[in-house]
Amino acid sequence: MFKELDPILHSQLRLAVMSLLISVKEAEFTFLKEKTNATAGNLSVQIQKLKDAGYIDVVKQFKDNYPQTTCKITPKGVEAFELYVKALNEYINR
Amino acid sequence: MDEKPITQHESLLLIQQMIQTAKREQKDDGKGWIAWGWMLFISSVLTVANLHFNWFSTYFFWNLFGIAAILIFIYETMNVLFFKKGTRVRTYTKDLFEKLNAGFFICLLFIIVAINTGVQPTKGFALLISLYAFWILIYGTALNFKPSVIGAYITWAFGIAALFLKTFEWVMVMHASAVLFGYIIPGHIAYTQFRKLHRKEKPESV
Repeated sequence: MFKELDPILHSQLRLAVMSLLISVKEAEFTFLKEKTNATAGNLSVQIQKLKDAGYIDVVKQFKDNYPQTTCKITPKGVEAFELYVKALNEYINR
Repeated sequence: MDEKPITQHESLLLIQQMIQTAKREQKDDGKGWIAWGWMLFISSVLTVANLHFNWFSTYFFWNLFGIAAILIFIYETMNVLFFKKGTRVRTYTKDLFEKLNAGFFICLLFIIVAINTGVQPTKGFALLISLYAFWILIYGTALNFKPSVIGAYITWAFGIAALFLKTFEWVMVMHASAVLFGYIIPGHIAYTQFRKLHRKEKPESV
């Protein structure tokens, strides 16, 4: 019996964002946009979904009169990511 | 909003690709090591020449180095505070290095003050070389950068040799050699690797 893949993570852009965030302490929206080559609108929507699931923390603030959005993975997000990778391995090794 | 369906294999590939991308951010460009290394190296070599030809007082070039280092520190601080934008990504390694750098420069000041208040300069510079090696070893280990790890042990070897030398001229030769193997060579290797890495193609659109 295989574990079901987490639908929140089993999406290309959300998974890319989580994979980037798991490797760093925190990252700005512009960094995520550049590294995933996603559009700002699409990325915003996916980030909101990850935030709603409690997988990431999003801090919005102003720096030098410019809006700055910083994302950081939460412990719940780390756990979900680890489970997702474990489930993926089970699928691939079956 | 359209979401592309992905297979399990594609998911794994994507995870690997993004983790590699994030890893690239942790790479050091080596510029700091090159600048710091050459400053130390030139000061050491000029001091050897100065001791040989008796141009100025013994520590003339180290005093110049101190002034240059203070000016660069002020310039960098102003730059960070008023002009440079903050980094777009924070990594655990970068945070560790910030603290490590602070600790290194405090220890460096301790030794410099000690040299100026009674500790023999020959011993003081041997201690400085040992401090460089310690810093380089942590840096190399944290970034899994072999040239720095090897450079750290070579630096320590020069530090130990310097500890037993009697003349300041030879201690300066050891200092220059330590800096060459500890900072300059690994710094240039890091710079070359960094440029090569960032020349690679951008990731595909997700």
